[in-house]
Amino acid sequence: MVQEKHNGKVFNNLKQHALTAISYLIPVVVSGGFMLALGSLLGGSTIASIKDPYNFFDVMYTMGGLVLGMLPVVIGTGIAFSIADKPGIAPGFLVGMISINMNAGFIGGFIGGYIAGYLTKFLKDKLKVPAWAEGLKPMLIIPFISSLAIGLIMYFILGIPIATLTDALNNFLRGLDTSQKLMFGLIVGVLSAVDYGGPINKVVFAFLLSLQSDGINEPMAVLMLASMVTPFGMTMAYFFQKVFHKNIYTRMEVETLKTAFPMGVCMITEGCYPIIFNDLWRCILSTGIGAGVGGALSMIWNVGSPVPHGGLFAMITMTNPIQWFVALMIGSLVVAVILFILKKPVDIDEVKEIQAKDEKDVDFSELKIS
Amino acid sequence: MNIVGIAACTAGIAHTYIAKEKLVTAAQKAGHQIHVETQGTIGTEDTIPAEALRDADVAVIVADVKVSGRERFKELKVIEVPTELVIKSPNKFIEKVEEIVKKG
Repeated sequence: MVQEKHNGKVFNNLKQHALTAISYLIPVVVSGGFMLALGSLLGGSTIASIKDPYNFFDVMYTMGGLVLGMLPVVIGTGIAFSIADKPGIAPGFLVGMISINMNAGFIGGFIGGYIAGYLTKFLKDKLKVPAWAEGLKPMLIIPFISSLAIGLIMYFILGIPIATLTDALNNFLRGLDTSQKLMFGLIVGVLSAVDYGGPINKVVFAFLLSLQSDGINEPMAVLMLASMVTPFGMTMAYFFQKVFHKNIYTRMEVETLKTAFPMGVCMITEGCYPIIFNDLWRCILSTGIGAGVGGALSMIWNVGSPVPHGGLFAMITMTNPIQWFVALMIGSLVVAVILFILKKPVDIDEVKEIQAKDEKDVDFSELKIS
Repeated sequence: MNIVGIAACTAGIAHTYIAKEKLVTAAQKAGHQIHVETQGTIGTEDTIPAEALRDADVAVIVADVKVSGRERFKELKVIEVPTELVIKSPNKFIEKVEEIVKKG
């Protein structure tokens, strides 16, 4: 029991470090992705030498490429920083650079970031130096030893297997046939949607980012769609209620939709939370199925999104944007229909205030007290 | 009871603010004073004022990611929890906080 609890804590810590790194990563990826996509859309190409003439779009394309090429560095630095604080930055940065150098990509930066972080933390906590060297410890000793150690680990032990693995995974995903694509899209869609932007969604997001950094953009389009079917579907269901005279939303919930829909356009699901928590299981079921259907369609229609966020605004950057939009609409429609059928009719003026007794019990093991 | 807190989530645009709102509503309903600082993607907003910190009985960190400025709470009991839990069960969470503080 104690062991079990301990394992839970360890996993939570690992997860927190990844999420911290992803939170630093998102603005970087979005800005880089947009620059790259807009630049390429308008005919930009990489500036090979600054001696040759170049135009505005070449500059955008090149900047985007530079930023996205640095993703292993951002993830490695972010994770190592989250684990070891400031001293983690030097080895984390190095691990990312090594991953790029060895073609170990995002996964290399990810795994290497953890090792670099814990190594640094270990040195920070355990390394004892004589009093005269105290000043040298953070300046020289820790960054030097941790960077050297992680560098050796990457070059001589982990780097090559990770590079091979990354390569194999990418080749597999590039070679999917139609039925495999359908399954893959379905799974990614369901997983991205079922917890409404929670931890499962973020883990999938990290994995898809790693694919995106290798130029596999199709799965990210699925995730984006899956994040949007809920607000779109719930809004459609609202119009069903007008047409079919069955009230499924209270007045409060309709008010919620008015902000949830525009948030949905920007790919933020969380605006729907009040509706979702009033009727959790019916919502999850309809979202899951709708996102699965939409995701599968998006995959078999070869929709790709080079940016990982932005909702409808990211459409201009996509390959096959029309198909993506159609898949989104079909997915949302599925959500709407299922939700409309499943939901019990309610009185429009019913006031549903969540009371303590309706809430899920809080377990002490979920809290960290210090 | 006086509560101070920090809210922060991964994307830093939604969960952070929903968690803050739920927490503040639940705490006030139970008759507590609360100040919650948000650390979203935009940066730190609603920084905890010195007075609130001085009077605080307990600190809560509602976060999925590493937060900055924890050292401000070194004199306090600190309760850490993922945003999801507070969003789902704010009132129960406040009850737990009361229980923990009472136990000392």
